[in-house]
Amino acid sequence: MSDTVLMPQLGETVAEGKILAWFKSVGDEIKEGDNLFEVETDKVTIEIQAVVSGRLNEIRVSAGDVAKVGAIVAVIGGESPAKAAPQPEAEQAAAPKAAPWRNPFEEVSTPKERYGPAKGPGDIRITPLARRLIAQNNVDILRLAAEVKQRGGSRVDERVVRSAMATSPPTSAHAPAPDAPRYASPPAPLSGQTITLNAVRLKTADRLAENWRTIPHVFQAIEVDFTAIDRVRRKCKRAFQEAHGFSLTYLPFIARATCLAIQAFPQVNARFDGKSLSLSPTVNLGVAVDLSHNGLVVPVVRSAEDLTVAGLAKAMRRLIDKARTGKLGPDDLSGGTYSISNNGAFGTTFTAPIINAPQVAILSTDAIQLKPAVVSTPEGAFVAPRMMGMLGQSFDHRAFDGAYSAAFLSGLKQLLEARNWEDEFAGNP
Amino acid sequence: MGVAELSYRDAVIRGIAQEMDRDNRVVFLGEDIGKAGGVFKSTVGLYEKFGPLRVRDTPISEQAILGAAMGAAMTGLRPIAEIMFSDFLAVCFDYVANEMSKLHYMTNGQLSCPVVIRTGNGGGARFGAQHSQSVENWTMMIPGVKVVAPSSPVDVIGLMAAAVRDPDPVVFHEHKSLYATKGEVPDGVIVDTLGTAKILRAGGDCTIVALALMVPRALEAAATLASEHGIDAEVIDVRSLVPLDTQTILGSVSKTGRLFTVEENPRLCGWGAEIASIVADEIFWDLDGPIVRITTPHIPLPAADHLEDLALPSAARIVDKVRRVLKA
Amino acid sequence: MASGSNPAVQSAPLSNDDIGLERRLELFRLQVEIRDCEKRAHDLFFQNLIKGTSHLSIGQEAIAAGFGVAMQKGDKSFCTYRGHAHTLARGASMEGLLGELMLRDVGLMRGKGGSMHLTSVEHDVYGSYAIIGAHLPIACGSAWRAQYLGEKDVSVVFFGDGTTNIGAFHEALNFAAVWKLPVIFVCENNLYMEYTPIGDVTAVKHPAADRAASYGLERILVDGNDADVVYRTAQAAIEKARRGEGPSLIECLTYRHSGHSRADPGKYRPPGELEEWLKRDPVIIYRQRLKDFGVTDDTITGIETESKRKVDAATATAKASPPAPVEILTTDVYADGGWAWRN
Repeated sequence: MSDTVLMPQLGETVAEGKILAWFKSVGDEIKEGDNLFEVETDKVTIEIQAVVSGRLNEIRVSAGDVAKVGAIVAVIGGESPAKAAPQPEAEQAAAPKAAPWRNPFEEVSTPKERYGPAKGPGDIRITPLARRLIAQNNVDILRLAAEVKQRGGSRVDERVVRSAMATSPPTSAHAPAPDAPRYASPPAPLSGQTITLNAVRLKTADRLAENWRTIPHVFQAIEVDFTAIDRVRRKCKRAFQEAHGFSLTYLPFIARATCLAIQAFPQVNARFDGKSLSLSPTVNLGVAVDLSHNGLVVPVVRSAEDLTVAGLAKAMRRLIDKARTGKLGPDDLSGGTYSISNNGAFGTTFTAPIINAPQVAILSTDAIQLKPAVVSTPEGAFVAPRMMGMLGQSFDHRAFDGAYSAAFLSGLKQLLEARNWEDEFAGNP
Repeated sequence: MGVAELSYRDAVIRGIAQEMDRDNRVVFLGEDIGKAGGVFKSTVGLYEKFGPLRVRDTPISEQAILGAAMGAAMTGLRPIAEIMFSDFLAVCFDYVANEMSKLHYMTNGQLSCPVVIRTGNGGGARFGAQHSQSVENWTMMIPGVKVVAPSSPVDVIGLMAAAVRDPDPVVFHEHKSLYATKGEVPDGVIVDTLGTAKILRAGGDCTIVALALMVPRALEAAATLASEHGIDAEVIDVRSLVPLDTQTILGSVSKTGRLFTVEENPRLCGWGAEIASIVADEIFWDLDGPIVRITTPHIPLPAADHLEDLALPSAARIVDKVRRVLKA
Repeated sequence: MASGSNPAVQSAPLSNDDIGLERRLELFRLQVEIRDCEKRAHDLFFQNLIKGTSHLSIGQEAIAAGFGVAMQKGDKSFCTYRGHAHTLARGASMEGLLGELMLRDVGLMRGKGGSMHLTSVEHDVYGSYAIIGAHLPIACGSAWRAQYLGEKDVSVVFFGDGTTNIGAFHEALNFAAVWKLPVIFVCENNLYMEYTPIGDVTAVKHPAADRAASYGLERILVDGNDADVVYRTAQAAIEKARRGEGPSLIECLTYRHSGHSRADPGKYRPPGELEEWLKRDPVIIYRQRLKDFGVTDDTITGIETESKRKVDAATATAKASPPAPVEILTTDVYADGGWAWRN
């Protein structure tokens, strides 16, 4: 009885994987648990083990080739399926065997993007191409509709949008997306170094662009005084380092405070599907990890609300290590409900990050450093050096409004500044 | 390298002869194709050149013609079978729909059917309803066959060669009203590729896809649209319905934003409907207006010349429709 | 071949035997194995292990066996959806056959064709065809190829009495006769066209034999339940075709013991008809034939025991075989193994 080895499911949205290398060859005896092959998806690179023992009879997808999740990549043990009899014809220059083609249920590729509505203000109809151009270039549809109606027309098409784009600047600070036709020949390359994006970066790029295009981002920032936390941090630093082997940073404190603040503002920890907000009972906290400028992954700490500062520090450390060594598993990348993007190391003041759909918000933390601040004392107000840092939140304005987000940030600030953080470390580092 | 002007029907002869010269396994059977040179005179000289063993006249037995072609192909030959009028495909359609097309799949790859069915397709010759139909779409619908319909002499030769060399069953729709037309053909062996469309006229305002007899009409319409209405149309000769060159068509429509099809088949389930559907799906966000199909109405074809001419899309009807839709 | 001087097999030496012991044993073995395998298919269908439809040849074994022994390697057979017997008679394996009926990966076509389309090119079985009459012109094409290339194989096409009324039958016979093709047309007249007596729907009494003259062919009507008769008739026709003397149309009279297909209990037959024909059971006839030619009971029993053992082994193999992997859903639509209709 032969066993088929399938391309495994490696994450919620992963549809296919590329086999980077085979560790065994056809004819090798395989024991259950042996490493069989290494696969790369848009999220991870991972080694797959054999779940049965037997002889590796067939490799159907070679190194370098891509296969869909669930496709048979190899056969272990048993007889090879009976081969068809050879063709009787004299012509033996048989046509080369066709490579696996499309998914049988996706012979035609429906685009994943969605742009603005087909009907505009005043029942104006908008062509699909016009809708795309309007969304990609942030053209003011209200103005367009008014212009068209004034001329007695009822339709916004490409010509209308392009002439509007030519005569006025884009209405927001965001740069317009490039409008490259999908099937046109690529622009002539510049005479400099070409950096080709790898699979992870390409897929990340697509996702980022999609999230940016479809979610109305609003960014708010608040300044937080980290002096109290800094005091606790420095006090516990050595014991923590000795106990856990890595250094205690601000991030686990911020993560803890975020989990606590979410209890009072649960709408920031939710999923939005276009019509309703599903609040999540737990906080699965995504932590953005930069892979040495070679892509971005956001592994998830599950049920983060149950962890202490130390617990969060350890969990995040583990995930970051796995991410940097390419060992994240599918469970590490799925189920996130809120994310944190930590940019402090680079010294920036604030960052407006891109939301990870279907989440509705993401927190950014930037440089925390000594800055002059006004401190109120019973004796009066004085300027003093304090550890100050900006916390920013990008949120999906469809899910909730600015007042709610601001209140959340305010609550977060309050927790970070006024909570007794020493208690977190009472008794143990 | 010399070039000559050749008629479409002489191109048929040249295409078949080219392949029969090359490969002794290529044989040819059909009604009146040998001694008589074909009812459309599209096979004149082959009998004399290749002899009665390779060019065989058959009884009026469409099922036997296709069945025998299939049996010969399954066991080692590369037959070309003629079905005189494409309307008669209905008489022997079992072999297209049930036998040839499914053989390789049902036998799990044990048997193949490298047959070319060449047939006289289309209207314009006043033959009446049962001898004038445009039926490329009948054959497009069956999984397992390939379908081509050349519009010019050079394409006839190139696609005939590609069809004969292809290991799958290919239905080769020649157009009866194109037999007398002429075109430039280079010397030497010509081999084209199935599954490739050709952009015959580049343009930016709209894409017009056409097949067979509709191709010269679309080109004529494009010239008028440019000179009299300032509309710059891109014209694509689809040439091959299966495999379909979707990339060329999608690339063109993503550039122009507008698609028109010109189809001789009657409206329902014409070949253009499938292309319209693929375009409306894959490049929906590049469309700047509705996809419009210009077809023969959904009626049998009349014999009377003025009525038949009215029914098939003419260059004038194409110009009128494109102009009205684009200027709306 | 030996003319039977082995006392373990035969009790007395033979003379004047044009068929010969070896062939006789082969004729018997084939009929027994076909019978046993078909009966097993019957049981597996009622156990719901064979799905869809299945058309059995129980009672018609002599025709498949007679031709199977007469044909040489390279001679090509074409049969209908009632083709299990013909497939086994050319040497295809029982597990390949039962596996295909059970739609498993070990099947002759990995389950992609099913019972009605059994094909094994390795054994010269060039397809089983479900559209009535379609394969007659196809067999003509195979014969034309042989004639054209100067190859010496003949094409043999099997069909039922109902086929003689469809258009393709007439086109094929005329075509073969006019081109003088090396093709043998074998009509298995089991007296019923699906559920209707053939006489009710045919203008002549013997649906094939009485039409031969229309195509300039000899009238050949034989007892299809006597494997020796079938063998001799087949031999003569095959040799005639190989000599380039053209096609033959042979009508074999027979009877099927079960219904048209597995789902049909055959209640439309007049009472007593089945019982009469059961006395003419080809396996019973041939067992007696062997005895008449001095073959020992031990040898006969040996063949029968071995047949049952083979059927059991094949059943076990087929049952153990998994269904084919789903990826073959889209393979082999085209000769390159793929199914791409667009780029």
